[in-house]
Amino acid sequence: MRKKLVLYLFLAAVLRYFLIISKFSRIIRNRVEISTPLNSFKRVQEGAYLYKHGINPYSGDLVHEVPTILLGLSWVLNNCECLLPFLFIALDLLTAFFLYEMTKMVLRSQLDQARKAKYAPDTEDIQLKTDDVEPLSHYVMMAYLFNPFSVASCVAQTTTVFSNFFLSLYFFFLAKKQITPCMLFLAIETMRSMYPVVLLAPAVLQFSENSLAKAIKVVNAFLALCGILSFLHYSMIGNWSFFDSTLGFIFHYRDLQPNIGVFWYFFTEMFEHFRTMFLVTFQMNATILYLVPLSIKLRKDPMMLATILLALIAIFRSYPCVGDIAFYLAFLPLWKKCWKFMAQNFIVFCFFLVTVLVMPTLWHLWIYAGSANANFYFGITLGFCTGQIFLVTDLLFAHVKREFCLKNGQKLFIDGKEAKIILE
Amino acid sequence: MDFKCATAFYILFWTAVITSANHNEEFHEELYVKPLPNGQINTFFQFTTRWKLEAGQNLDHTRLMPRTIAEILNIFDVKELHISLTQGLWRYETWGYPVVDSSPGAEMWAWFNGNLTRAQVDSQWKKLTSTLSGVLCASLNFIDMTNTVEPKYGFRPQFGTSKTNSEANGHIRYATLPREIVCTENLTPWKKLLPCNSRIGFSSLLTSGHVHNTFYHSLAVHLRTLCDDEIKENCIIELRETANIVYDQKLLGGSDFSLRKMFGQGLNGACSLADTSIIYVDVTNDRYTLTPEPKEVITSTRGGVTTLFAVYNVKEESNDKLFNIAWVAKERKNSVPIISPPPLVAHRYILNHGQERGKVVTEITNSHWGPLNVVVQENIPWYVPVYLHTLTATVNKERITPKLVHYIPGEQRERPYHLEVALTVPAKSVVRLSIDFDFIFLKWLEYPPDANHGHYLGSAVISTVLPNTKNYTGIPVDGYLFAHSFNASRPGYFLQIRTESLILTLPTPDFSMPYNVICLACTVVALAFGPIHSVATKKIVIESRETSHSILSKLKRKLFGKKTKEEDVAEEKEVAEEKTEDAGTDLEKESEC
Repeated sequence: MRKKLVLYLFLAAVLRYFLIISKFSRIIRNRVEISTPLNSFKRVQEGAYLYKHGINPYSGDLVHEVPTILLGLSWVLNNCECLLPFLFIALDLLTAFFLYEMTKMVLRSQLDQARKAKYAPDTEDIQLKTDDVEPLSHYVMMAYLFNPFSVASCVAQTTTVFSNFFLSLYFFFLAKKQITPCMLFLAIETMRSMYPVVLLAPAVLQFSENSLAKAIKVVNAFLALCGILSFLHYSMIGNWSFFDSTLGFIFHYRDLQPNIGVFWYFFTEMFEHFRTMFLVTFQMNATILYLVPLSIKLRKDPMMLATILLALIAIFRSYPCVGDIAFYLAFLPLWKKCWKFMAQNFIVFCFFLVTVLVMPTLWHLWIYAGSANANFYFGITLGFCTGQIFLVTDLLFAHVKREFCLKNGQKLFIDGKEAKIILE
Repeated sequence: MDFKCATAFYILFWTAVITSANHNEEFHEELYVKPLPNGQINTFFQFTTRWKLEAGQNLDHTRLMPRTIAEILNIFDVKELHISLTQGLWRYETWGYPVVDSSPGAEMWAWFNGNLTRAQVDSQWKKLTSTLSGVLCASLNFIDMTNTVEPKYGFRPQFGTSKTNSEANGHIRYATLPREIVCTENLTPWKKLLPCNSRIGFSSLLTSGHVHNTFYHSLAVHLRTLCDDEIKENCIIELRETANIVYDQKLLGGSDFSLRKMFGQGLNGACSLADTSIIYVDVTNDRYTLTPEPKEVITSTRGGVTTLFAVYNVKEESNDKLFNIAWVAKERKNSVPIISPPPLVAHRYILNHGQERGKVVTEITNSHWGPLNVVVQENIPWYVPVYLHTLTATVNKERITPKLVHYIPGEQRERPYHLEVALTVPAKSVVRLSIDFDFIFLKWLEYPPDANHGHYLGSAVISTVLPNTKNYTGIPVDGYLFAHSFNASRPGYFLQIRTESLILTLPTPDFSMPYNVICLACTVVALAFGPIHSVATKKIVIESRETSHSILSKLKRKLFGKKTKEEDVAEEKEVAEEKTEDAGTDLEKESEC
């Protein structure tokens, strides 16, 4: 098993390395679906250059990376630039590895729970078994390593690679039940991209064990770490301008460059006096709108809650990119036992396939050929979002159905006639 | 009543006599005509008003100086002001350097008093532009902090001594409006600033029909105050109004031309308020016979270059008929005028494929035999985000390092990118200065009415000090008349040239779509909201497949709230089960039948 693991990691590294040194890396780096204003490597380079020449990188509006990462990358760029691709590859591989370890721990704890619980007799195929742990962990890792989205994101050297790395560490320590490191990585990621703040909810559910005092302790730890990080950033740059350039930039959605999300055309075409209202509405939609109902519904399953929240963030954040999508897609094999109940697999698959293929075509027609216009690209990004939304709602419903069937059996009859599960 | 009127008249009369006797104001009008080598004619008008202000005099009492200008100096703490309104592009390669350079569209810069703070300068600048917008009927009110920069190296103050100049550091504001269209509505208020208005004198030649029908025309106002370092009250206020016009000989009907052909009429005498009214004609090339013959020809040797000027003093000409000068081409077969290019020329262009990424390239050509030090001030508006790390300067594809880079990053909708690069252009070579930028996507209301026309980038300004005066006609900083440039040899000649202004077509959204986009995007958001909230809030139940298959029964249930038998049974069971289950469990148990 170990050998297999190393082989996968090696293959993934080789694949990424050859793409980076190939001529495709330039094309990949320039795609709007992969590089957004928030994560593009070109902007990190610009920030590093400005910092090196004594200009505050946050005085303009091109740089949106937090000081720690910016200065770190700046150091690498100035001292050993040739190692940069290896850094990104290593981080991506580590992300996959932590996901693998996390999956193992999650599945084992689910197994422990399953042993205690009593399930209906005909539900063997949807029950988790000891034999499933190793293959499912492998699937999770492979889903991240060989997903074209994550490969593209790594080849483009976007800072989403860092985001995914920190989030994987968050999930790793969440599964391992270690509060401080878990909160640390969540705080780091929250300071960088705001939206992961909602992942505090699964952490609270995981660590609190129904005690309010513990829950408060978790939240306090998170806030304290955020404060410490802010001061760390402040001491590095010497002023607070980085706040507006990172979190402010994400919240206010200042750059209207098209991406795969729902924000860009909506706020391009927005009437100025409604802008603030819709901005707040859309940001709420991406963060707290689903937080409370889902936290109540999935309070016994923080991992499922985290997965769903992660996916919703990736869909509804202001500058989404394929790297974010790759990360939540890697969680799907973790819920393999729900797959049986997912009704829209084919539709979702078609949505993904068609939109991903057509997206670059329509971009080319709009920007280069001039024969299409913005509506075409907007339409296809809406389609892509719709596909993802179907996937997420389907997974959520499948999870609920599975839980129901584990208790009540898979074959349901009313008066001898076959019955089906609905929501009322 | 009559007595009162008479008294008032006497008082006014004597005041006028006293003021005119006090000769501290002077006015000069000059016209310089230079036939250009490739069949074009450059005519340059300069109207200079100079007012020596002594202790006890204030700016409220003006004679020749226009009152609006005096008020501007009084209110806005301006030390030096330059405005130009230009249509067309000056072709340096064939026309040489103009006496006064200006960029296409509107260009304006001002130096403010050294004792103002930064915020005060900004506020004064904004007020100044708005005021001048009214004075010149130009869109100068569109100048604000989003298109204003503070040049650091490329511009030099032309007032005072080195002491006041060092104080002035940081008190300059510069802006261009490359989209500005210059027309007759600018010419009329510009002429109104002159003491003789447009009725008599050289300004009567500037009729809108003929000025705006040319290759290139540029109206400008230059204002400066020169104050004594010791006695602060002793100042000289100097206003120069210039008009630079380039005619095409072909449009004037052949190789011969005259003042009448160019301006539609002859000159109706000199402005009687003017101290001097002189026409200078460049006769260095001796290609034309002038009629009437000039009474005087001046030879000017400046920086090793000799130029001949024919001089017509209009004050001395008789006033009984319109004064006219005719240029009759001398018969010279097989002669081709040789165009010797000026030492430094520059061009700027955009390189891009598609509307995603591009490069702004500035090409500076040095045809002088020695290297030249230049300062390039790029003019990059906020909607062209440039990446400083991509700034490269190359000579013959070899990279060179700029001596100095001054950069203030821009901010969307807030401030432009300010980039000044100092570098040495080696002898007989071309430096290509390029910087990458991204195409930006604006909000739909930020596009101009004709969105696909594109957005303008103002000219870059290139400043240098030339060692010789080949093609150079500029007035030295210590002079104020065109005549002061004769025999004015100096160690170096400060030169500013401007590149083309550029046009960039940004990708546009569909302007007819706002409602559709809002509806569609909200629908997609609702697609997630609906199912997630129903999963989170509704309870899970089972239902017979048959009941659900019948649309009619569904409809019935919806309409009449009537429940089928099966459902009643299921629900009863659920309710029974619910009581037995733990609180908080939302899964209902349904036993197999």
